[in-house]
Amino acid sequence: MRRSLVRAGKLLAVAALLLWSLAPIGLILMASFKPERDIFAFPPRLGFTPTLEHYAALWQRWPEFFVALGNSLIVTVLATLLAVGASLCSGYAYSRFRGTWLEASAFGLIVVRLVPPIVCTLPLFPAVNALGLQDTHLVLALLYATFFVSLGTFVMRSFIDQIPRELDEAAAVDGAGRFTTLFRIIAPVAAQGMLAVAVFVIVYAWNEFLFAFIFTSTRAKTAPLVLAEIVGNFDGVEWGVLFAAASVQLAPVLIFVWAMQKYLVAGLTAGATKG
Amino acid sequence: MRETLATRLALLAPTQGLVLAVLVLPAMFLVWLSLHTSSFGINATWVGLANYTHILGDAYFWRALRNTAVLVLIVVHAELLLGLLMALLFAAGLPMRRLMLAVVLAPYAVSEVAAVVMWRYLFDPDVGHVAYALQAVGLPALDWAVNPTHGLVLVALLSVWLHLPFTFMILYAARLAVPMELYEAARIDGASGWQAFRRVTFPLILPAILIAALFRLIFAFRLFSEVWLLTGGGPARSTEVVAVYLYLEAFRYNAFGPAAATGWLMVLGSLLLAAPYLWRLARERARDAA
Repeated sequence: MRRSLVRAGKLLAVAALLLWSLAPIGLILMASFKPERDIFAFPPRLGFTPTLEHYAALWQRWPEFFVALGNSLIVTVLATLLAVGASLCSGYAYSRFRGTWLEASAFGLIVVRLVPPIVCTLPLFPAVNALGLQDTHLVLALLYATFFVSLGTFVMRSFIDQIPRELDEAAAVDGAGRFTTLFRIIAPVAAQGMLAVAVFVIVYAWNEFLFAFIFTSTRAKTAPLVLAEIVGNFDGVEWGVLFAAASVQLAPVLIFVWAMQKYLVAGLTAGATKG
Repeated sequence: MRETLATRLALLAPTQGLVLAVLVLPAMFLVWLSLHTSSFGINATWVGLANYTHILGDAYFWRALRNTAVLVLIVVHAELLLGLLMALLFAAGLPMRRLMLAVVLAPYAVSEVAAVVMWRYLFDPDVGHVAYALQAVGLPALDWAVNPTHGLVLVALLSVWLHLPFTFMILYAARLAVPMELYEAARIDGASGWQAFRRVTFPLILPAILIAALFRLIFAFRLFSEVWLLTGGGPARSTEVVAVYLYLEAFRYNAFGPAAATGWLMVLGSLLLAAPYLWRLARERARDAA
């Protein structure tokens, strides 16, 4: 009796978790393929004739959305390369060397995490304008990378800490310099850590709104920004186009997170709890 | 192995350079900005603390601060409670656990903008499914576009939904790190399920709970996109949070000085929240270095 009660409770919890986590996502993904009249049927209709009309309408009316997807891709790749490269180098330094100044600078990396993004937009705004970086992919990539080098450094350090120093020493005996050792010997062994850092940066850079909103206007506009414009121009009728755009923005990163789940979890446990 | 200072500097340069250029120097420039009136940093005039007295005398600032405080407290505590329950549930064994883990992680992938599309739709008074469901059981719909309280409730729901995967993962990892033997020992000693939680699980995962709380406090304090995209701070500036207030001061009212003062208060607020944790960390590091 008690056993089956526990079992029923767990099944209920599973149902609640499914509803809470997936229903909002599933509903709009599904609705993006539904004919307009089926979207609002209540209870939601599972049987319907799928249509691509909303995607076609999106393509026709919001061509800039697809340009923005390209911009998002460029910015995401740039930011990831920057953040992973920088974190690999500094994570290695903090793992292998000791010293008062090093400890102080590692502590500094944690303190700067407290600066809210909105706050640094203010002083950066005139500087970005003066340097001619307004509305470029580069400025977004630099900002996104910066907000993850701190976490990235500690994730990399905890991964590199597990690689025996004998490996470095053997390489040095063979005449390899520090950088050769790092890129040829350490990096391949620490690939899991690099992937973990990459997952954080990719999800953040692909989805970020605030910096893109303030620092881009036309050329480097990213997908979340155009999606927000579609929301802003929303007339209360054409939900289909809105759902299609949200689905296109969401689907790649959702599939990516599911594929990389293992690294996401490893990164969270290595970076968030230590350092 | 002989190391030159140059190698160390070169290894640290990219990370520290980015942090210096994007966070440290701007934070210092921010102090200067907060003591001047200027138009986007140009034509600055020294005004001393006038910007600070201006915002501290601004009713909109206080409303934004109150909204932020209420939202942060509700969101963070709801997340910790739900995240903890989920962690215990997963650890106790759940049908299709691996699949369910993927399910609960899904919102982590969703952007704020896409989440706003989803939740706006669900709660739309005319067509939303949740609105229908609420109506069906006789509850009033959320008038989030008109009623400020309802708007903030929707913002809180949305925030919890977006960030619960993060909180849950930290707590779940901590729960998995508790050695099984302790539970066996507790069972042999005749401990009930609640006693095992109270005496074994809770004390051992408390550090993780505090870390998750700290991270989420600091991040929830920055809340911007959800509010901006859902209510824009309206109606009549009633749902503003501090970050939205700062944005409007700077980029709509061109009041760069007061905005900078708000920003500096935000940094101080974050520092204050994190102070006990930083203090402990600094002591540990000093000990490690010695």
